[in-house]
Amino acid sequence: MTTAPRDPADRTPTSNPVLRRALVWGGAIAAAIAVVGGILGFAFAGPEGLVSALLGTLLAVVFMGITGASILLANRFAGSDLFVGAFFGIVLGGWLLKFIVFIVLVVLLRGVDWLDPVVLFLSIVAGVIGSLVVDVLVVARSRLPYASDAHLPPPPSDD
Amino acid sequence: MDATTVLAEINGNIATVGYGLAAIGPAIGVGIVVGKTIEGVARQPELAGRLQVLMWIGIAFTEALAFIGIATYFIFV
Repeated sequence: MTTAPRDPADRTPTSNPVLRRALVWGGAIAAAIAVVGGILGFAFAGPEGLVSALLGTLLAVVFMGITGASILLANRFAGSDLFVGAFFGIVLGGWLLKFIVFIVLVVLLRGVDWLDPVVLFLSIVAGVIGSLVVDVLVVARSRLPYASDAHLPPPPSDD
Repeated sequence: MDATTVLAEINGNIATVGYGLAAIGPAIGVGIVVGKTIEGVARQPELAGRLQVLMWIGIAFTEALAFIGIATYFIFV
């Protein structure tokens, strides 16, 4: 993948491509975990296991992805005077909101009879760990310029 | 009323305390991660992009335990 040289006037933080790539790959790994988890859940707990595995993976990946998505959203304010305040407001506000929504969802989903709690828990754990693995791999393979306004030669084409 | 009597009167699920701990730990962790990022960007604004990625991966690891801790609500009776 080659990227065009950055415009010197472009103040967008260089983290955007990394975060975007992490979100895309996070979605891909979530699909893989959902398929495997769905098969295992169906095998061990029937239709409730299948639904639980799909829901658990979805919850884990969506909630883990919100951090990256909120940084991407906040970076749209780059260059404005309000950038620092808006950035941390959006990222930390998103974090707080995410946990409140997650706790409410967990309480609501606890008693329902169309879910298998153990499969749901295990698929959430699998989704969280899968998402972390993707994040680490994307960051380890990313090529971030040392400074946001530096010009680098095009990245190698094997990425 | 002595402490033993008060404790004997408390009822409910002790796992609830764990959900509180699962929220406090990562909240402190994310606070430190974000605070240090603000410090770093204030010192060297041109490193913002790089620091954002490090902040994001730090938040991801810190919040992972919070998710797993709160999700244990499904398995603790």
